[in-house]
Amino acid sequence: MKRLIIRKLIVDERNELFDAQGMRYAEFPSDFSRIREFTALVLADCPAVFREGNLLEQQLSEIIKNGIKHGNRSDPAKRLRVWYDLRKRARFIVEDEGLGFVGLDDWNEFFRKRQTALFDEDFDTFLALASYRGPSSDDEDGGNSLIAALEYWNGGMIFNGAKNKVGVVRWFARGSD
Amino acid sequence: MEWMIHARDAGGFENVALKGDCDLYSAPAFAKAMLSHIAEGAGRLRFDLSGVDYLDSTGVGAIIRILQEAKKRGCELRFSGIGGTPRKVLKMSNILALMREDPRP
Repeated sequence: MKRLIIRKLIVDERNELFDAQGMRYAEFPSDFSRIREFTALVLADCPAVFREGNLLEQQLSEIIKNGIKHGNRSDPAKRLRVWYDLRKRARFIVEDEGLGFVGLDDWNEFFRKRQTALFDEDFDTFLALASYRGPSSDDEDGGNSLIAALEYWNGGMIFNGAKNKVGVVRWFARGSD
Repeated sequence: MEWMIHARDAGGFENVALKGDCDLYSAPAFAKAMLSHIAEGAGRLRFDLSGVDYLDSTGVGAIIRILQEAKKRGCELRFSGIGGTPRKVLKMSNILALMREDPRP
């Protein structure tokens, strides 16, 4: 029998994923045109086994993009802070200086409806709900980065109380060399 | 990312070959071009993604918008050559199930 399991974005200020002790640190300007460059800098000495082709780069780039575009609104006066640890697993904390993801609860409800339609094989509804459109979404937003992220970050994806900082971790079956 | 629309094949499909990274910088222009093409009456399109090694959420969003517009306008879509990371990203986004795939041309 099929079971519907729907993941959620979680807010937990005290979660251990926000413990930055021993992590490396980088800080970037809110320059939308350099998002992939910033991602490459953070992953410069990442073990190959963690990269999974360019999947890690793609997923980290989404978090950096969300911070710069939706968090800091590409305001050049605002910075993006990244803590990272690539020992044994890939772990990141990314913090912007914006107002936080105020639509987080709406997103969880959107995702519940979307995944329910998929589970019910109601593909017309699913296609209509395929992308999230929030108050600040524009035509260039894919509206699906958090959907893949919930699956990719298999050790957790947690927001802080202000919802302007996210902690993520991905574990790998083979570990690092 | 570059794309090229080839003349209709025997099945009436126009083949759209993509090459490069389908990302936050290139995907919006690609979506805009394809949505216009569908709005102008394209009836059958086949997208060859064998030249795409990198696909991010903006690229996935472009594909979703193309799927939505094609459904609205009665345009038939096929996809081929989806491999590597793009396939994983489309699967994690649950979009792969909506894409009718042909064998690689």
